[in-house]
Amino acid sequence: MHISFLIHNAYGIGGTIRTTYNLARSLGEQHDVEIVSVFRHRDQPIFDPGPRVRLSHLVDLRKSSPSYDGGDPDHGRPAEVFPVTEGRYKQYSALTDRRIADHLRSLEADIVVGTRPGLNVHIAREARRGPVRVGQEHLTLSTHSNGLKRALRAVYPRLDAVTTVTEADARTYRGQMRLPGVRVEAVPNSVPAPGLDPADGTGKWVVAAGRLAPVKRYDLLIHAFAKVSEARPDWRLRIYGGGVQHAKLRTLIDKLGLYNNVFLMGPANPLDPEWAKGSIAAVTSSLESFGMTIVEAMRCGLPVVSTDCPHGPAEIIDNGVDGRLVPTGDTDAIAAALLDLINNDELRQQMGQAALKDSARFDPSRVAGRYETLFSELIGRGGLRGSLHRARGSLIGGAFAAKDSLRKVRVA
Amino acid sequence: MSEPAEAAPARADCVADSAGGLTFHIADWARPAPGGHDDWSGALVLVRRGGRDGPDGEVRLPLGPTADGGLQAALPSTVALPEGRWDVHVAYRDAEPWRLAPGLNDLRSLVDRRPGPSTSPLSVRIPYATKHGNLSLRSWRRAPHAEAGEIRLEDDTMAVRGRLHRVAYPSEWLADAVVEARCRGGEAPVRTAPLEVEGPDFSFTLSYAELARTWGGGADVWDLWLRPADRTMAPARLARILDDVADKKEIFTYPPRAVAGGRGEALARPYYTRDNDLAVRIEALV
Repeated sequence: MHISFLIHNAYGIGGTIRTTYNLARSLGEQHDVEIVSVFRHRDQPIFDPGPRVRLSHLVDLRKSSPSYDGGDPDHGRPAEVFPVTEGRYKQYSALTDRRIADHLRSLEADIVVGTRPGLNVHIAREARRGPVRVGQEHLTLSTHSNGLKRALRAVYPRLDAVTTVTEADARTYRGQMRLPGVRVEAVPNSVPAPGLDPADGTGKWVVAAGRLAPVKRYDLLIHAFAKVSEARPDWRLRIYGGGVQHAKLRTLIDKLGLYNNVFLMGPANPLDPEWAKGSIAAVTSSLESFGMTIVEAMRCGLPVVSTDCPHGPAEIIDNGVDGRLVPTGDTDAIAAALLDLINNDELRQQMGQAALKDSARFDPSRVAGRYETLFSELIGRGGLRGSLHRARGSLIGGAFAAKDSLRKVRVA
Repeated sequence: MSEPAEAAPARADCVADSAGGLTFHIADWARPAPGGHDDWSGALVLVRRGGRDGPDGEVRLPLGPTADGGLQAALPSTVALPEGRWDVHVAYRDAEPWRLAPGLNDLRSLVDRRPGPSTSPLSVRIPYATKHGNLSLRSWRRAPHAEAGEIRLEDDTMAVRGRLHRVAYPSEWLADAVVEARCRGGEAPVRTAPLEVEGPDFSFTLSYAELARTWGGGADVWDLWLRPADRTMAPARLARILDDVADKKEIFTYPPRAVAGGRGEALARPYYTRDNDLAVRIEALV
């Protein structure tokens, strides 16, 4: 198969980029795989796509580059195809509209995969007849604005498949979007095996990692750790990551007198060596579209104590077997679950072993295998049925588009 | 618009052992010349930042092939590496050395490190990624060494616990020793406080008011040392170096306390310097 990914910026750092590289790299062992990045702002990508995956870009934003596109007048004109309700809209332009359309209209591939809603819209509207069209949802439908949901509802019927990272989100898509003939399938993100030995579970460290953003609720974790420290002052907590909450969390640690117990470590890349220093991982978010850090920690042999927040944690952790799920927002429950594992060396070791074993299902080879099956089935159902569905989809899409524009007029 | 991938910099994985030794492993190495190992003359070159041309400015470690087709070099704890920052390069024959990028640094054996008894200098080398994404090492070499541990803050005092390393008889060394605060660059006298000692472990309490007494409105920095009763013996600098954190300053931080000083109210707080030495800063309220 020739598989072509379309991504916002393959040269940046972030969950979608990392997971796309993992997937592309694995698929690249058997198939012809390329990653097409809408933007390029640096010479070298942060993550390594491996030797077999081709990387190219559509708009060059490197000022030093001879093919710099920032001076193109269309770069300053607003986009019309990329939806205005998409979070990245401001970065898109008449230039990206044109370059993406040219790319999609000339693309010789069996499968084209979009990696964010705005790019899925481009694919649904502009990909030439032939390639199977797959739109990936890396966040969740419920976190999109109503405006974006309407925009997606208008054109997603023209996709062949929508993939989500959790079953929970796939159910939401099936329930809230009318997508006749479009296959909606949950395929989790992949996490490769770490390049070092797993944790041995003897260190007295709890480790957490992620952006220091309000949604991660590190304030809850710090409050919970105050209770842990009272019972077990020999155990300490490291929180890796940077972000807007740094000063607030620092103040909280100082106010609670936890400056000998809780440490804000700053960003770390790669994270695996940091997980390997710990014996328990903690996630106290109020929302996790997937829960990449949970899988990463498990792959390093750590049992994870996580809030049972929407959407990912409960689909990753087998509660009581390879980790613990506690009610979202419940400081006492987080502290109690951490202390259960801290106070029982055998249980902790056992859960760590189980985490290592159970998280193997997220290996890129296994996840790529699921995509491979999906892609083959979509190609197989192609031909007449595929094009009929697409024709019907575009009619429905057109009807929704008309309704959307009416609505816009009314609102105005 | 597609173009061939540019050559990525070679990366070195680094494994630390609990004695202070490091092993570097380069996996993605394209050998410059084929033809067996005989013509191999690669080296890992550590260049001391700011002291390249000095007598101890460069350390060359032979790179040898590994079973998995990579290259490996070892920096045992017994190789004396003077204190400082060392940039890690790779060199082949007479070619100008080029920088290595960090790969996976497996430093788990450094976390909560407890070195064994010995009188030879304590070697600490922590690999880290520089802000430009290169591989460097932070090195310390100390005998004696006073490792700072937990710091408890009360309204106007700080209580520090620690452990003395690399003297023959720690409890004898510590008997009648004091903690000495020396004001950096100033004329202020040295302040001392007694130690409580249990084997190699010690603790002391410093009064902020005492340090702030001579404060003149600027920023006073007090460096902390343990001084044995016998003045002919070398004092031990208080520092925190027995773990995997190369730069403590931004990570091990402590809340400031208001204290009455010679020129009105000041803020006092302990902090770790760029060399991970423990100090106390007295400065104006902001």
